[in-house]
Amino acid sequence: MSIVVDSVSKNFGDFVALDDVSLNVRDGSLTALLGPSGGGKSTLLRVIAGLEAPDSGKVLIAGSDATNTPPQRRNVGFVFQHYAAFKHMTVAKNVAFGLTIRKRPKGEINSRVDELLKLVHLDGFAHRYPSQLSGGQRQRMALARALAVQPRVLLLDEPFGALDATVRKELRAWLRRLHDEVHVTTVFVTHDQEEAMEVAEQIVVLNHGKIEQVGSPRDLYEKPANDFVMGFVGPVTALSERVIRPHDVEILSEPSDGVAEAMIDRVLHLGFEVRVELTLGDGERTWVQTTRGRVEELELVEGAIVWLRPLDQTVLPA
Amino acid sequence: MGRGLGRSLVGGDVLGRGIAMAYLSVVALIPLAAVVFKAFDGGWDTFWNAISSPQATYSLRLTLIASLIVVLINAVAGTVIAWVLVRDEFPGKGIVSSLIDLPFALPTIVAGLTLLAFYGPDSPVGINLAFTKVSVVMALLFVTLPFVVRAVQPVLLELDGEMEQAAESLGAGRLTVFRRIILPNLLPAILAGGGLAFARAVGEFGSLVLITGNIPFDTQAASVFIFSQVESDNIIGAAAVSVVLLVASLLILLLFGWLSRKALRHDQ
Amino acid sequence: MISKYGLRVVALGYLALLLGIPVALVFVNAFQDGIGAAWDAVTTPEAQHAFYLTFVMVIVAVPLNTVFGVLCALAIVRQRFRGRALLNTLVDLPFAVSPVVVGLALILVYGRRDGWVGEWFADQGIQIIFSTPGMILATMFVSLPFVVREVIPVLREIGTEQEQAAATLGAGGLQTFFRVTLPAIRWGVAYGVVLTTARALGEFGAVAVVSGRLSGQTETATLFVDNRVQRFDETGAYAASVVLALLALVTLLAMNIIKPKEAKA
Repeated sequence: MSIVVDSVSKNFGDFVALDDVSLNVRDGSLTALLGPSGGGKSTLLRVIAGLEAPDSGKVLIAGSDATNTPPQRRNVGFVFQHYAAFKHMTVAKNVAFGLTIRKRPKGEINSRVDELLKLVHLDGFAHRYPSQLSGGQRQRMALARALAVQPRVLLLDEPFGALDATVRKELRAWLRRLHDEVHVTTVFVTHDQEEAMEVAEQIVVLNHGKIEQVGSPRDLYEKPANDFVMGFVGPVTALSERVIRPHDVEILSEPSDGVAEAMIDRVLHLGFEVRVELTLGDGERTWVQTTRGRVEELELVEGAIVWLRPLDQTVLPA
Repeated sequence: MGRGLGRSLVGGDVLGRGIAMAYLSVVALIPLAAVVFKAFDGGWDTFWNAISSPQATYSLRLTLIASLIVVLINAVAGTVIAWVLVRDEFPGKGIVSSLIDLPFALPTIVAGLTLLAFYGPDSPVGINLAFTKVSVVMALLFVTLPFVVRAVQPVLLELDGEMEQAAESLGAGRLTVFRRIILPNLLPAILAGGGLAFARAVGEFGSLVLITGNIPFDTQAASVFIFSQVESDNIIGAAAVSVVLLVASLLILLLFGWLSRKALRHDQ
Repeated sequence: MISKYGLRVVALGYLALLLGIPVALVFVNAFQDGIGAAWDAVTTPEAQHAFYLTFVMVIVAVPLNTVFGVLCALAIVRQRFRGRALLNTLVDLPFAVSPVVVGLALILVYGRRDGWVGEWFADQGIQIIFSTPGMILATMFVSLPFVVREVIPVLREIGTEQEQAAATLGAGGLQTFFRVTLPAIRWGVAYGVVLTTARALGEFGAVAVVSGRLSGQTETATLFVDNRVQRFDETGAYAASVVLALLALVTLLAMNIIKPKEAKA
């Protein structure tokens, strides 16, 4: 089911959370809302879910206006950062909740719950309580619960934010695979650009309540619309007032056309990558990313004078 | 504003809050208002005469002084008891800790009877404090026991030993550590518990009726005085002194609450 | 320097002298003429009626105060409205009011002579003061705040996320309340109910004023104890006190069982 957000604005007192935001989410797609904290992404997600009412604008789900529909009737699945597990119910009852209140027959509920628990690899945990599960398991349960009622849209609010790094990585890959299998329109919120790039087909970058750019991960990285997106989606460095990717700067041992002279302050070996911090002729400080091989080849050491040339891969329009 | 989830979120509707407020008004607020109205039914003069009658004044003074003494004793005893329950270990500590709440659970008339049994004319150890002012203090001590203890216990539990150890490493003796480190941290809780104890003590009735003898101008507390006025159909007089007690309780709660918060801020 | 043992002795000694021994003595005195005499004393028609009346008051006051408590706590925690802080403070009023004042207050409202609504009730043939309804109202007043006080922190603790989740899964307001909210706060409610019951059982001053103390008719268990003392029926007084003390101990037991669950929730 497609989602259309049409000129939605939302304020909390003086704070502008969403400022005239419009967005199209294609049916069946996997979209990330990416941005810094307070940028509006969670608010946008909650407006789509009906957990917040917009001050102005419309939300359309599958083509019909859902702006005034309460969350109960929007048929959107929602997964919370801190799981929102029903602590007093078993895993099975949690997953069954949506079906139970729709008074589906017991047999149907049981088989659906089994099916879902298998899907999320929690078969065997049906009779445990959420408090007996790890964070990652609880989130998988929350996902199963949301999917149980076959929502038209699946919304996840920083779903992996409360989990530690290894579990996060696992669940990211897992979410991608789940989407491949289930094909429900999915939108998730994250402040982690790596997560967005790894999982999503389409990324929406939000900052200060406005959409900065919408595009595929590659588009965002290689053709950022502005400084903010460029800086948010990947590392940046500055060279003669141009913002550029640190691995798009070539280090030369001899001057040539279009180069800037610089002195090396430090050479930091960070595993495979090497970070070279330099001071330019005008006193400006910058840094460049290069490889071990290059460092050895050029014999880069502190105090050496080198020349920097930007490669024109990712350069912002002037 | 507030639509969207507003109405569907549990507890978010005006009906529930309306019912709650109506219930509170009917059960508590309106009756109390009636007392205030009655107290001034004959005008300010009647009110003033009622509360300044010798018997009324005596009972109020007795109540306030006795309650004050009780709060002071509780501040010390309650802190000591809380200290022992938190920092000490002995067999049966759990049971003792549970029994602290007994005065909350026990009917006040029974509390009075227990004191009468042990400290009255039939005392098995020959102590007879019945019909004395001391008995007033004792009864109040019984019913206010849990307040300071329960207020101080959680604070003591939270205090890890590190501050004290730091002080000791800097040369502070045990008494100094207590005075400068522990006590300031306990003070907000002691004040909060003390305020509750005070408010409870000034209104206490059931535990007093048996052991104090309710002797006017001697051991008759304000609450007992009010009771006797109701029985003698002097309703305005009863209402007037009730208003004084009400105001006293509220002022005490406000005062101790304020003091307690002030003591808290000192730490931050 | 007060040693550790010194403090322990002082604390335990204080507790023994103030609480332990007097209460124990009541048990001893109750059975001083044998268990039979004690049993007889609490099974006279008067005594039975007294306990029955106490039971009635509890069975009416506690559920009403529980419903009120949950509604009030929900309003205070989940809503924003002018007067919210005031409501929160007013709920604590019964803690600051002397029981005899409670009794007086009820007479002034419901008394048949000059009561604000008393005359109207009298015309309908309903007697409130000097009768059971008045005593129930008195019991409701004094035991009002407990459920509210216990539920508020629990409600704050659990937050609204579970309920939001239930909403997205299609649950309406009532469904969410009974399936999600209430189970989540159940130990807070339980603890509040225990405290409310204990307070209702033990009420004396307010019912003493409101009841007229007609033995066999408007005498609760607590009034019965006082009545027995006035009539020098020691065994009766002590025996009834033992029953009430045992109920108090059951209350303490319930408190101890429920409190940890409340904290864990």
